[in-house]
Amino acid sequence: MAGQKAAPLLKDELDIVIPTIRNLDFLEMWRPFFESYHLIIVQDGDPSKTIKVPEGFDYELYNRNDINRILGPKASCISFKDSACRCFGYMVSKKKYIYTIDDDCFVAKNPSGEDINALEQHIKNLLSPSTPHFFNTLYDPYRDGADFVRGYPFSLREGVPTAVSHGLWLNIPDYDAPTQLVKPRERNTRYVDAVLTIPKGTIFPMCGMNLAFNRDLIGPAMYFGLMGDGQPIGRYDDMWAGWCTKVICDHLNLGVKTGLPYIWHSKASNPFVNLKKEYKGIYWQEEIIPFFQSVTLPKECTTVQQCYIELAKLVKAKLSSVDPYFTKLADAMVTWIEAWDELNPSGDKLPNGAAK
Amino acid sequence: MAASRSSTPLLKDELDIVIPTIRNLDFLEMWRPFFQPYHLIIVQDGDPSKTIKVPDGFDYELYNRNDINKILGPKANCISFKDSACRCFGYMVSKKKYIFTIDDDCFVAKDPSGKEINALEQHIKNLLSPSTPFFFNTLYDPYCEGTDFVRGYPFSLREGVPTAVSHGLWLNIPDYDAPTQLVKPLERNTRYVDAVMTVPKGTLFPMCGMNLAFNRELIGPAMYFGLMGDGQPIGRYDDMWAGWCTKVICDHLGLGVKTGLPYIWHSKASNPFVNLKKEYKGIYWQEELIPFFQSVTLPKDCTTVQKCYVELSKQVKAKLGKVDDYFNKLADAMVTWIDAWDELNPSGSSGKLANGAAK
Repeated sequence: MAGQKAAPLLKDELDIVIPTIRNLDFLEMWRPFFESYHLIIVQDGDPSKTIKVPEGFDYELYNRNDINRILGPKASCISFKDSACRCFGYMVSKKKYIYTIDDDCFVAKNPSGEDINALEQHIKNLLSPSTPHFFNTLYDPYRDGADFVRGYPFSLREGVPTAVSHGLWLNIPDYDAPTQLVKPRERNTRYVDAVLTIPKGTIFPMCGMNLAFNRDLIGPAMYFGLMGDGQPIGRYDDMWAGWCTKVICDHLNLGVKTGLPYIWHSKASNPFVNLKKEYKGIYWQEEIIPFFQSVTLPKECTTVQQCYIELAKLVKAKLSSVDPYFTKLADAMVTWIEAWDELNPSGDKLPNGAAK
Repeated sequence: MAASRSSTPLLKDELDIVIPTIRNLDFLEMWRPFFQPYHLIIVQDGDPSKTIKVPDGFDYELYNRNDINKILGPKANCISFKDSACRCFGYMVSKKKYIFTIDDDCFVAKDPSGKEINALEQHIKNLLSPSTPFFFNTLYDPYCEGTDFVRGYPFSLREGVPTAVSHGLWLNIPDYDAPTQLVKPLERNTRYVDAVMTVPKGTLFPMCGMNLAFNRELIGPAMYFGLMGDGQPIGRYDDMWAGWCTKVICDHLGLGVKTGLPYIWHSKASNPFVNLKKEYKGIYWQEELIPFFQSVTLPKDCTTVQKCYVELSKQVKAKLGKVDDYFNKLADAMVTWIDAWDELNPSGSSGKLANGAAK
């Protein structure tokens, strides 16, 4: 690359979705990077509480009453008292791209002390192709100063469209409860200067704290499941969305990147509370992972919605024996798609490359 | 994870350093602090009458073409001539558990804090800790200090699998193919990526032989670097070939392949016009080779590396023979290699170990 091009702002094409129950003070630190963008705030918990949004931000805010009003009976698919409710924001957005961030995530600094514009990096990631079919040992070949290495087949150098950009976290790492209990003081201080594509056929744990995606390409797969109030599980919302999303991306020949950008994760959640939430997940995960690893979607599933409905059927057929929760979840997955299609009428139903 | 930083074992009696060369070994001076405890196996390519000067103080054995012919007899035809692919002869004659191989234009690199990188020590760390090929950890190698498995990583997969290969990287001159070298002659790799990661199961990668370590007992027989150089229609695909075979076999046997740290400093850019001549056929053949390797399945009863490799050679002959007759020769050479390996490494010794559950 001859010169360093500035990444397009995409300010009219990207919404920032933030779930919150407390306040949005953290936005002050992000102001230089976020102020150009439209925010969708999903207020969880008590709808009578007023969430204070710092001045100067352009936003729409939805509380539980709004969600119930807009979705009617379908609102049952949106979690309550869990940040999983954020996916309502994805559904009501009218933009092509989504960036979602937690309200305890701040601007991190790179090793040279510069503030990291996480959103800009996510945009770079989403606007350049992914390479899921063959691993490049110099990581993202589309970055400045890097390329494909010797031995990388030339026919694969065009890459595939990128659907998801999964960012990471300095300071408090995203550990599960047992690890938090065993290593309460561990902090992630390692800045790994890489973006890479997660290869086809490989599943990963997708964290929703610092995540961006192309809503046109993959939006309907980003359902964050049934968590929180009245549900037997928590802290598996983003995991569930990530496993579904990856399987569908693999099927539709879309790419998922992970790595840069970093944000600074400031709050460690309470590990005792987390253990209660995750407890069933620790066991269920052992069944869920082989399930996702062995999922095959039929060739006729050429849209995300078709893939997702098929996945819901498979979840019902194969995971209900693990727990009746999965029957409810499968139904909620279908409800989600119906609600998505209602709020995003056809024209939004884009086929996404060759189904495999 | 231990509370304190435990030091990495030297493994000085368990590891050989294999270096192919045609020129001299001056580069070893820079590596002396890190390499001197180890035994070197030098494979001298090219004119056997030339004397290769080895810096004082290193313990080594040196093999030239005459030695290779003497030791292997007719089987010597599987070892490339006038190509660094000949290095795999060094793997075969080694009696150690681990191999580190490095090119003679690779020097000690510095990390971002300016400290010299002990590449060998990092490779040993990589080989002595498990790999995680079944599920991607977003914080990369979970066994590194200061990191772990992330939320959502299944607990039953946290034991990992034995690591067979540690693939290191290069600062300065990157390992580009000829077309890329021609298009971007000025590009240098200046990005230090502080990570080791497992290449996931089912995913192929381009394995570069410049800075590579492996567990010879777990995977040695798969590290055949093919027929390259003199009398062959192709070059600069030796390590690639070994890497694709190795990865497919590792996936089958439940072994891991890591890539990332350590970095070395690659000082010499090879001539891109010469490289294009060598790679030319490979550019086209690669397009057939990759789908071949991506679709290889090995039978359950292939429970050793040798069995996997011989089976692979049959499939190479059956499916790639029609791409070019070269692949028939290569398939035969693969079998010759295994015969030679087993002859030099009789059963009970390093090569023939059953390696975990075949998949």
